[in-house]
Amino acid sequence: MKLLLVEDEPALRNTLVDYLRQSSYVCEVAGSFEQALEKIKLYDYDCVVLDLTLPGAGNGLDLLRTLKADGSRAGVLIVSARAALDDRLTGLDLGADDYLTKPFHLAELNSRLRAIIRRRQFQGQPHIAFRDLLVWPEQAEVFVREQALTLTRKEYDLLLFLLANPNRVLTKEAIAEHLCGDAVDVADSFDFIYTHLKNLRKKLQEKGADNYIRTMYGVGYKLSVE
Amino acid sequence: MKLLTKTNRYYLLLTTGLFVLAGVGLYYGFYAALRHEVEEQLDNARLHLERRAATGQALPPTPFEYQLSVSPRPRPLGFRDTLLLDPTEDEMVPHRQLTFRLAVQGRPAWVTLRKSLVETDDVLEVVLTVLLTVLAVLLLSVVVLNRWLANRLWGPFRATLGALRSYGVQEHRVLEFAPVDIDEFAELNQVLTRFTRRLVADYEAMREFTANAAHETQTPLAIMQAQLEQLLQLPEMANPQLAGLVTELYQATRRLSRLHQALTLLSKIENRQFAPPAAPLALAPLLRDKARQLEPLLDARGLTLNLHLGAEPAGLHLHPGLADSLVHNLLQNAIKHNVAGGFIEVQLSPEALQISNSGRPLSGNPARFFERFQKHDAASASPGLGLSIVEQIGRYYGFRMSYTFESSGAIHTLRVAFA
Repeated sequence: MKLLLVEDEPALRNTLVDYLRQSSYVCEVAGSFEQALEKIKLYDYDCVVLDLTLPGAGNGLDLLRTLKADGSRAGVLIVSARAALDDRLTGLDLGADDYLTKPFHLAELNSRLRAIIRRRQFQGQPHIAFRDLLVWPEQAEVFVREQALTLTRKEYDLLLFLLANPNRVLTKEAIAEHLCGDAVDVADSFDFIYTHLKNLRKKLQEKGADNYIRTMYGVGYKLSVE
Repeated sequence: MKLLTKTNRYYLLLTTGLFVLAGVGLYYGFYAALRHEVEEQLDNARLHLERRAATGQALPPTPFEYQLSVSPRPRPLGFRDTLLLDPTEDEMVPHRQLTFRLAVQGRPAWVTLRKSLVETDDVLEVVLTVLLTVLAVLLLSVVVLNRWLANRLWGPFRATLGALRSYGVQEHRVLEFAPVDIDEFAELNQVLTRFTRRLVADYEAMREFTANAAHETQTPLAIMQAQLEQLLQLPEMANPQLAGLVTELYQATRRLSRLHQALTLLSKIENRQFAPPAAPLALAPLLRDKARQLEPLLDARGLTLNLHLGAEPAGLHLHPGLADSLVHNLLQNAIKHNVAGGFIEVQLSPEALQISNSGRPLSGNPARFFERFQKHDAASASPGLGLSIVEQIGRYYGFRMSYTFESSGAIHTLRVAFA
């Protein structure tokens, strides 16, 4: 999957590129409006991660307009420190697929990117396979060794979030905010994640799945590939 | 009181005072002058009679007996007032009389000359009437002229006032006025235009500053958070001591970021940077969404959430972001300060949104719950800004907030009454 990351802050850009490449994306970068404009005019991307405030002759919303005017099929994820709701609405009105406010969890970024790419791949039956696990996101169905697994909505969301970030430590904060929305202040109550994970593990084990959800003590959880 | 009424009142007081003074002065002045005139006439008559008596002539006959009476017996001398009966009018009429001694053909006689004061009274009356009428007309016309002038001259002022009254600071527009030919009002309008221009500029600067500050702070926070997350992925993190340090750093970054977001939101509300949307916003779907979103938190603590969603309040033009924040903070507050296995009752009616929840007994002063950085538990990692955000949003839209505590059952109720 080919991504374009448009972000003017070098430190953040480098971290994001590292992370996205680790997550097996082909990732190109642009640090200014002009660079980004040139790249979107020349190449096709599956998804563009777009910062709104950019140096140069335009901002992220202008790039978004260009993409839409060119009839690009690329998904657009806006990433901005401008939590201004009007920006968010304008962005989504202009045809962006999603909006993420800085700072965000890397795992959340990945999860959103996967969702966008999944939604954009119309042809074929997109599915996620992980070890003995098979998920059909379109139908929200989960199979363990060909047996259907019944999950609650939140358990399913949790599983999908873990599957989007295999072999990465997902912090409790990232999981909590993914499940309850990033406005939620869960600093005082992480206990609910524990409950959901316990239930998910139990259901997986009942169907004979391996125990690949690891607890990283005090930090979070990890979907182990070994 | 209107300026016009006030000035008119002073005018009236002054003119009435002057009227009374002028009336009294005129009356006595004329009265004295006319009496003096009568006395002079009587004196002239006396001189005439004395001259006649000196030449030895008899006193002239008089057609009216009361005008001249002669007595051989002494009478008090000099001027006196007296009342005599006027036979034709059949009433007592005031007269001025002059009595003097005269030797008429060798015999002493006391002569009294009288003159009616009635004509004098009439003259006085006419003069006073004319004068008072003129003064009254003058007064009335001053009032009328004033009223007309006020309507005409103060027109531009009222127009300015109207423009100011309908001016909303959050409109961020400069007030422009039609040209006025009265210097004072033109100056006033100029000053107001300058003020509003300044206001708009300040607002813009403030808005830009908040946006920039938010951006400039969130970006390093985003870098910190992303780097720390990457750090957590390193194999070295198998060392629990190291992992603990990084996790704490990571959590502190999250806290800082939340705190910053909350403060930015508060300052934006205070600066009224949220224009009301054209369409009214329905709270019921929002409440349902939020309840679904917060379900994991409710489940984890075994809380029961009951939504009693009645009719929507009419014409509630809330900004979607603020409405979201309001509902979110109210619910989160009810969850946070609840007890395990407790309940939350949400009631939406056209008049108010009311959230009741079970909780611990009241501690602290309820009046301070809405203040910033007020925490139930000082060790809590949340900054304690939720209710101040609720309060600010409420104040922004003119809602009335009230908090009640029912000690039987320890039920906390927050009520947001729509204006």
